[in-house]
Amino acid sequence: MTPLLEFAGTSFYYGDRRILDEISGSVSNGECVALVGPNGIGKTTLLRLAAGTLSPATGEVRLSGQPLKGFKQRAIARSIALVPQNVDVPFAFTVEEFIEQGRTPFLKMFGGLQATDRKAIEEAMDLTDTRSLRRRIFNQLSGGERQRVKIALGLAQQPRLLLLDEPTQHLDIGRQLEMADLIRSLRARGIAILASMHDLTLIEGIFSSVWLLSPEEGLRKGTPEEILQPEFLGRAFRCPPHHYSALEERIRGRRERVL
Amino acid sequence: MARQVTENAVALRSYAEERQFPRHGLWVGMLTMALLVAIVVSLGVGAVGVPAKKLVLALLGGDSLTADQRIIVLSVRLPRIVAAALVGSALSVSGLLFQGLFRNPLADPYVIGSSGGAVLGASVGVFLLSSVTVAGFGATALLGFLGALCSILLVYALARVHGRTPVVTLLLAGFAVSTMLSYSSYLLEVLDRDFGTGLRVLASWLHGTIGQPTWGQLIIVTITLALGFAASIPLAHRLNTLSLGEEYATHLGVHVQQTRIAIIVIGSLLTAAAVALGGLISFVGLVVPHMMRMVLGPNHTRLLPATALAGALFLLLADTVARTIIAPAELSVGVLTAFIGGPFFLYLLRKTKQETLL
Repeated sequence: MTPLLEFAGTSFYYGDRRILDEISGSVSNGECVALVGPNGIGKTTLLRLAAGTLSPATGEVRLSGQPLKGFKQRAIARSIALVPQNVDVPFAFTVEEFIEQGRTPFLKMFGGLQATDRKAIEEAMDLTDTRSLRRRIFNQLSGGERQRVKIALGLAQQPRLLLLDEPTQHLDIGRQLEMADLIRSLRARGIAILASMHDLTLIEGIFSSVWLLSPEEGLRKGTPEEILQPEFLGRAFRCPPHHYSALEERIRGRRERVL
Repeated sequence: MARQVTENAVALRSYAEERQFPRHGLWVGMLTMALLVAIVVSLGVGAVGVPAKKLVLALLGGDSLTADQRIIVLSVRLPRIVAAALVGSALSVSGLLFQGLFRNPLADPYVIGSSGGAVLGASVGVFLLSSVTVAGFGATALLGFLGALCSILLVYALARVHGRTPVVTLLLAGFAVSTMLSYSSYLLEVLDRDFGTGLRVLASWLHGTIGQPTWGQLIIVTITLALGFAASIPLAHRLNTLSLGEEYATHLGVHVQQTRIAIIVIGSLLTAAAVALGGLISFVGLVVPHMMRMVLGPNHTRLLPATALAGALFLLLADTVARTIIAPAELSVGVLTAFIGGPFFLYLLRKTKQETLL
């Protein structure tokens, strides 16, 4: 079966600096992948390549087997939704107006929002439990609310794949658990997810697979149990050997909590 | 982290604060009505007063006016009223486009350097070519128009780096070019042998004055404005998406670079058309979009028609006062826009809650 999204020998450079080196991997329909790795390794870049906002220097990114660069960006945005890490809105848009922007790839040149657009927006608000926020100003929302509203914008695109860039960053523990629930419920609805995750303790029980980007070894893929091992993480995050035991303790702590 | 905490605190304080914007159709209707009323009132006031009832009858095709009154109302006041409305509308829409494009509430129609070019062009017109006219436009208006367009093109070319035009470079290049050009017009002033008169003409143009346009001029400007306005409609939605930032807009299929160029071209054309009719009129393009945003919210598709109408109404009122308050002499309308627009804007600024300001 053709995977939904596929990286085939994908590399990317910022100027002369190589960020991603011949990455290969694929996300199938309904799969839920956590993207893990140290700061600056290229997690956000990988998500942008998948969203079509950056083009690979070498290799390809494919959507349903077709090279992404053959698609118009509007067409990509109808299948893949990117939820960026930071959003800075200079005007006082309401939550509803913010989410409406998710319908941009569907709009005609001179046309406004149609009934089908409204329906998609309402559904997105239902899924993310943001209906009660619709008249609030986006800039006044708390971190957790803001994150849910950003995901609602992505869902208004009615995507088959959702790209989340650090969805739990800056959230308190309560909102982190809310986000975990939301991701689980999206997964249950068959939406594939590729999310960069900083907090390794939130991965198990939510994500079906983990992609670990490490400086020396490139991309390592597997189930959470396979990848979240002290030796892999230690090498990827450049922990000196005397920190391995602390790392292991943390992972064991996570296991105990899960049990 | 500290920022996050503050954000949470703000959110808690204003919890449940909701915002429901009024129906913008209602506002478009009200503004249209107000504009019509203002036109009739403005036709009636001046050195020769004409009662509103007679005016309305005359406008509906009756012959309730004397021949003198007909000339004053239809040949003198009406063209000027149309001109004021067009200029106000063009400047306001242009200001709205530039504020949206630069995501900056301080942007106005002159933000990327059109004013400097306009000043230099107008100075050349005043001091060197004062006898030239083309299609009813004097050299001052014409060269002001060309100066505005050329300086924007120059700024755009200068700001382009590796095929991209970063917003910050554009703003800074605009500031530098505009300042250089407007000070180079000073050389012309110094070299002017005919002391006084040229300077006075230039000064009145710099402060903004709706003169006595011909119908030919008005038709040209009306067509420019109509085209600019029509082209702004599809851009309004893109401006909403661009408000979320370049990354979001690109991802959602907006051609960011094309949209920017389109907005710059349309905004500059509107500004230059306004400059040709009224010189440099301050404050309108900055204040009117803000007023409308405070009332209707930041959605550009809703703001566009309302801003066009409110700009027309605002400048028409200001110009009516400008030509009547010290009659038979006249004030520059720019003085009025600053005096009316300034305090009203500051009042709104104080009244509106900080977080919902923009």
